[in-house]
Amino acid sequence: MINRQGEHHLPVPQWAVLGFCLLLAFTIASCRQFDASDYLRIGLIAEPKTLHVWLASDRNSRKILSLIYQPLYTRDPVTLEQVPWLAADKPVYDPENISYTIKLRPARWSDGSEVTSDDVAFTGQLIKSFKIPRRYSRWKFIKKIATPDKRTVVFYLKSPQAIFTTRTLTTPIVPRKQWQPIAEAARKKEKPLAALLNHPIYHPLGCGPFVLKEWRQGTYLHLRKNPYFFGSHTKIAGRVLGPYINDLLFKIYGTSDVAILALKKGTIDMFWWPLQPGYIKDLSKDPHIQLFINQKSALYFMGFNLRRPPFNDVKLRQALATIIDKKFITHRILQGQGVPMYSIVPAENRFWCCDTVARYGDGLSRENRIKKAYKILTGAGYTWDVPPVDSDGNVGPARGLRLPDGNLMDRFTILTPPADYDPLRAMSGMMIQQWFRAMGMPAYARPMAFGALLNKIKTEHDFDTFILGYGNLSLDPDYVRVFFYSKNDKPRGWNMSGYHNSDFDKIARASRSAMIPTERQKLIYRMQELVIAAVPYLPLYKPSVIEAVRNERFTGWVNMLEGIGNIWSFCEVKPVTAD
Amino acid sequence: MGMRKYILRRMVGVIVVFFIILTALFILFRLAPGDPVSRMVDPSLTPEDAAYLIDQLGLNQPLGIQYIYYLKNVFTGFMGISFHYGQPVTEIILDRLPNTIYLFTTSVILSALLGIFMGKIAAWHRETKIDSVMTIVALFCHTLFLPWLALIMIWFFGYRVGWFPLSGMISPEVWVTPGTSSIIKFLDVLHHMALPLLTLMIIHYGSYLLIMRSSMLDTLNEDYIITARAKGLDEKSIRDHHAAPNAALPLVTSVGLSLAFSINGGALTETVFTWPGIGRELVFAVSSNDYPLAQACFLLIAGVVLMANLVVDVMYAYLDPRIRY
Repeated sequence: MINRQGEHHLPVPQWAVLGFCLLLAFTIASCRQFDASDYLRIGLIAEPKTLHVWLASDRNSRKILSLIYQPLYTRDPVTLEQVPWLAADKPVYDPENISYTIKLRPARWSDGSEVTSDDVAFTGQLIKSFKIPRRYSRWKFIKKIATPDKRTVVFYLKSPQAIFTTRTLTTPIVPRKQWQPIAEAARKKEKPLAALLNHPIYHPLGCGPFVLKEWRQGTYLHLRKNPYFFGSHTKIAGRVLGPYINDLLFKIYGTSDVAILALKKGTIDMFWWPLQPGYIKDLSKDPHIQLFINQKSALYFMGFNLRRPPFNDVKLRQALATIIDKKFITHRILQGQGVPMYSIVPAENRFWCCDTVARYGDGLSRENRIKKAYKILTGAGYTWDVPPVDSDGNVGPARGLRLPDGNLMDRFTILTPPADYDPLRAMSGMMIQQWFRAMGMPAYARPMAFGALLNKIKTEHDFDTFILGYGNLSLDPDYVRVFFYSKNDKPRGWNMSGYHNSDFDKIARASRSAMIPTERQKLIYRMQELVIAAVPYLPLYKPSVIEAVRNERFTGWVNMLEGIGNIWSFCEVKPVTAD
Repeated sequence: MGMRKYILRRMVGVIVVFFIILTALFILFRLAPGDPVSRMVDPSLTPEDAAYLIDQLGLNQPLGIQYIYYLKNVFTGFMGISFHYGQPVTEIILDRLPNTIYLFTTSVILSALLGIFMGKIAAWHRETKIDSVMTIVALFCHTLFLPWLALIMIWFFGYRVGWFPLSGMISPEVWVTPGTSSIIKFLDVLHHMALPLLTLMIIHYGSYLLIMRSSMLDTLNEDYIITARAKGLDEKSIRDHHAAPNAALPLVTSVGLSLAFSINGGALTETVFTWPGIGRELVFAVSSNDYPLAQACFLLIAGVVLMANLVVDVMYAYLDPRIRY
């Protein structure tokens, strides 16, 4: 640029700076006039990856899909009992034919066409014929699906299956009219399943309370009220459902910190993600923010590798279980926002949780825990160079734990996810390491990238101990069988500890086909007792679900196990002014 | 060696390096811990059913076959289908790439302009308070930890003062309102871009300032500057017309490579500001073992950086003929 004196300048003239400021001011002013005040704005921690109901594996995709596709049955938010949803009534079991008859309530897909028994049968056939991942195992035992009329479905099972009502009947139902052409095209391909899963679904057709209006990938997702929702103005489980809001706007936030700021600023009305306890104090001060603390159907536990010494010794595992102070962990690490766990089934799952399992060291002081663990270990032939309890019964730091064969215990690791993935598990690992060391055990907590951790534990079985968790356990207790069944001790199998017990296997098989709940309950109780006595897994704690919403625009959130982000909430939340 | 021969030689080098990167990426991803199969296959299935699923998903091929498919895909431009999105990888990348380019290319250009401008001033006022303050501030900004600065910027300008949106690339409220004009939508993107842009400029302008200052100090001792002074040109003209344009030459490499690297976005910047670009996708793809997506992202970055290197080398050869001979 040349000025009047003939000087040459590099850029950044004053008028450009002034212009930039003016543009900025105009931009800020222009964008502030938009206020979608009747939209319920929800923050998500990550973008949904897909709206393909059979492909979706991430939590955020499943959240969105749960508002679009609906199952036949769902859980009552208060009693947690299974209640008819798309179904009109409870399933009728015919033991002679091993069949279930289900009546559908009048319902329409979001395009106005009728939901029929044929759609239900089609969904089952689709899952079975394509062996759809994560669904197939819940449908493969179905022999035949009959549709005597357009509102009646009859499922014929190959053999009695306890999980049929709780797992199979909670599968989302898809419309034949949308999926049949996709399935037919996929069948012609070399890899039909891959073709089915990779078929793009831009406009999912469901019968839930909301339909997809627009998805601008990477930025936002807009759902609109489904005018044909079968639950509208209908009483289900004693609740008159809406939805009472027309639009849901999902916004993405890369970090919890920014999402919390958005909530405080009023940019979003709800953050659909559990918060760390550290946020509670700050958010409680804001009168426009309401906190919800609910229990979780979860299991955070320490696992041992029973395939190799020294953790193949049940006495050692019981001693370690005695040393770990779960209440201390929930108090110090979870900051009181969680409870210690004693059985594999969470206590909130009242019907299935066995509360008579062994509670190692419960109620004991630190010193008494060490004394009790010392007693267990000495009784099993363990010795120390410097024992944790001296001849006068005083407790002190121990050194050099020797195994019953006289050899020093080798250094071992406690694998945990890294702190950025889950600070609670990483810190628990550190704390447990210190307790073990006080007993003279060379324990080393080792945080590891989650993918690598799973690979070591689940695929390679190359570990000593680990801390993992299931954050979203089904309310059906079949996982007790799955986690410890001998046949599941295989690469990528669920029996990660390598627990083998023929008595357990026998009961587990019986539990699978026990169709009378009280009978199955007894079997599930016995399985829990066996597992806790053998300690392949030691249940540690269960964090609470802390969630936050703004309360000046919308109200009516429904508390439930797992938090307020449930189908009932989205059918019952209404604008504050409408009250 | 003629110019054409020089370019040809460099191009052959680029192709060889690209092929090495291609192979290294394939091997590294297969060596990386993690198991995409676990995510897809229900372990409670029978081995036969599990084998069927693994085969259908293409996760059971021997490495050699996978490598051949991989090469075929690269050379046909079809980079496979993302495990998680179920979409062709090229579609995902083409959707995210422009967003990354808007933000990061703009930030590189503006940071470079600001750095050149301020570096020139600092060098001109060498060994004065202006020089010291500018240099110290530049060093301080250059060493700031980006996520920390980004959060501070969001907290102050987005939350406390409220001038800018907290994150994202657009305001959904603006875009879902019927009848919103294109100009308003454009301004909305600018509004969202301001804060990440400012953050990136604060972090990056310092390095350009330091390079420019150093280069300018060398230039000011050149004979042609003394000649200009002897001719009686005024100081401003000497600074802006004679010294600064020559001193800015070393920045060509730096800006060129920064522009090339800008297509990988910045995983941290994009995550904190929730900017829907390549960087965020790359992090997701790597952490979730989405091989096709991760490989394609890395290949794109490698390809662009190699091309930028080539372009910079050729530009240098033009600007300084001694280089090619």
